[in-house]
Amino acid sequence: MKTPDLSAETVATQPRRKRPHRGDKIAPYLFVAPFLILFLVFGAYPLIKSVILAFYITSGPRDQVFVGLENFRFLFTDPDFWKAVRNTVMYTVWSLALQVPLGLGLAILLNSRWVKGREFFRLAFFSPNLVGQVFVGVLFSVLFVPQYGLVNRFLHATVGTPLDMRWLAEPSLVMPALVLTSLWMYVGMHMVYFLAGLQTVERELYEAATIDGANSWGQFWHVTLPGIRHVLIFVVIISTIGSFQLFELPWVMLGRSPGPDGAGLTIVMYLYINGYVSGDLGYASAVGWTLALGLLVVSLLQLRLSGAWKE
Amino acid sequence: MAGLALASGIYIASRREQKNTADLRLWTFAKPHADAYIKMLPDFERKHPNKRIDVQIVAGEAVTSRLQAAFWSNLDVPDLVEVEISWAGSFFRGRLESIGFRDLTERIHQTGLWERIVQARFAPYTTRGRIFGIPHDVHPVMLAYRRDLVEKLRIDVDAIRTWDEFVEIGRRVTIPGKRFMMELPPAGVSSFEVMLFQRDGGYFDAQGNCTLDNEIAVQTMRYYVPLVAGKHRIGNDLGGGQIFTRALEDGYYLFMVAPDWRTKVIEQDVPKVGGRMALMPLPAFTPGGRRTSTWGGTMIGITKRCADPELAWELIMHLYLNKEALAQQFRNTNILPPARDLWDHPAYDEPRPFWSHQPLGRLYASLAPQTPPQYTSPYISLAKAKLSEALIACVDYYNRYGERGFDGFVRQQMERAAAEVRRQMRRNPYLHENA
Repeated sequence: MKTPDLSAETVATQPRRKRPHRGDKIAPYLFVAPFLILFLVFGAYPLIKSVILAFYITSGPRDQVFVGLENFRFLFTDPDFWKAVRNTVMYTVWSLALQVPLGLGLAILLNSRWVKGREFFRLAFFSPNLVGQVFVGVLFSVLFVPQYGLVNRFLHATVGTPLDMRWLAEPSLVMPALVLTSLWMYVGMHMVYFLAGLQTVERELYEAATIDGANSWGQFWHVTLPGIRHVLIFVVIISTIGSFQLFELPWVMLGRSPGPDGAGLTIVMYLYINGYVSGDLGYASAVGWTLALGLLVVSLLQLRLSGAWKE
Repeated sequence: MAGLALASGIYIASRREQKNTADLRLWTFAKPHADAYIKMLPDFERKHPNKRIDVQIVAGEAVTSRLQAAFWSNLDVPDLVEVEISWAGSFFRGRLESIGFRDLTERIHQTGLWERIVQARFAPYTTRGRIFGIPHDVHPVMLAYRRDLVEKLRIDVDAIRTWDEFVEIGRRVTIPGKRFMMELPPAGVSSFEVMLFQRDGGYFDAQGNCTLDNEIAVQTMRYYVPLVAGKHRIGNDLGGGQIFTRALEDGYYLFMVAPDWRTKVIEQDVPKVGGRMALMPLPAFTPGGRRTSTWGGTMIGITKRCADPELAWELIMHLYLNKEALAQQFRNTNILPPARDLWDHPAYDEPRPFWSHQPLGRLYASLAPQTPPQYTSPYISLAKAKLSEALIACVDYYNRYGERGFDGFVRQQMERAAAEVRRQMRRNPYLHENA
């Protein structure tokens, strides 16, 4: 074992440590202060305040009555909340089931060398994501109009459906309309993530698979999917979180309302209506925290089920 | 970055807040209102030298959300605000003393306004017996119709006295998918509530109790649903805006509910049908019964932060009761003012070419005194949502099973809707204070 050389000569040659200046002690705190102040004012304080508010019935911030867990008790017995949960989960499931495979399919297609004008198509598919939910909501609420809307005209001409299908006024059609709209908006974004993932999969693996006799499906299943697994998990998690936070799209498409029979009511819309239309910020805080905890549980479950947790 | 943040911070802190030089600030969400008020201001400012009034147009949603937030946070708010009827209730949720508007009850009685204005119009702006707004309008309702098509179909509108007669003709002329007797939404409650108010029903009573499950509401639902569902339906709805324009031009609807304000919307949005439209009173539910109802409305309130409430009150009197100016405003907006003594102006007798030369003002003014009240509550949005749910469930049931068991189902749905509203209301600890 080597012993440390503590001879006088060695010590003498080492640079002398300066006694820390008073200013040096403060400097790091000054550097982190802007972030810290902003975080405390706009991050930590509202978070703590919202936890406290969740135990009050309020009418604006001044009229408050402490009710303990009453807000949570009411929340879990409120049929509208469960309708919002049901709608949100249904939207999430349909969105994931359609957006992710379609995004992946498009990415594989546009990653192939034989497709001409790949750059153009990549931009074209991604561009709906640039315009924002409000714009898309307005656009699609016009497309879904009964009798004269493009969607009904197209379906009438191709499949013979009636022209006066009321996509945004018929409870059973609201969710398909929302899912279709979000499909147009988000598939391109997922495609970009998957494209980035696909470009990291080594070509040699495909060559090796071909030599081993793997067909296209085999290559996809055994090479592509494992190669982009992390991207896939990432896309599924952010899509789930995004879907659970759905608000602007149905709010705009359904004319600033939950739609017929509350068919477009989402959890965040339920929170907004209670907080900002009814004025009960306490109840809205309870909804917000329930959503946050629910999202945490779902995300942890997804990580665990996908195996990413162990890594 | 830190330097930039510091510099901009110092700049913002050192900047003097732009001082509002107006003595009164008024927010309105309706451009036609603002245009009319701006024209009426010089007169007012002449009477009150050195006083300056600032009229600002603020989007309808913003009036409520920004104003509510400003009331809550004790921030700068305007002196006077016009609020749309369906949002008014949201300002009355908390304690009476926490409401951001001034209580105008005594002033309304002392100045005789209570007698001058159609009293039913105070109802939406009243909570726990206190009045917080002056009505801007009456909004009586008539039926607008495509006169050319109606004549072609040999429908004699003068012979239609009751809804039963109207429906009978409707069943004869409706061709589902092509032409409907009337614009009636099967999922929204706008036309349903017109019928409900016509029968003296409503979402709430004068005391703020939910009345969605009373006999009037149940019977109205029972009557309305077969008009929009089943084989013999006579009504449908495609939507508003450009779709409504196309539908009316194409003759998709023959009749539609038309409060005074909507006649202007039709004039502006569907100019092609000018001269081919006409108006008739609503059919009554019983012979000799009420021939009108109400849809929509606006109030003006004075905020508690207003430094000069006397001047604000005088401004309201000037804007809402100035006969000449309001007659001109009527020509521009078709909106009948709420005070009865203003309706004898010749402007209300002028024939309107768009409406087949009918005297639009006189038609509405003759019905206005019968306008039913519509009581409000902080829970009005919830009540509308629950009524809509009940309507959709009833329409669905009727489409599946027709008349079989329909009575019981309607009653059950209305009871459910009312119970849900009451459940939410019970949570509000302030609503029954000072009641």
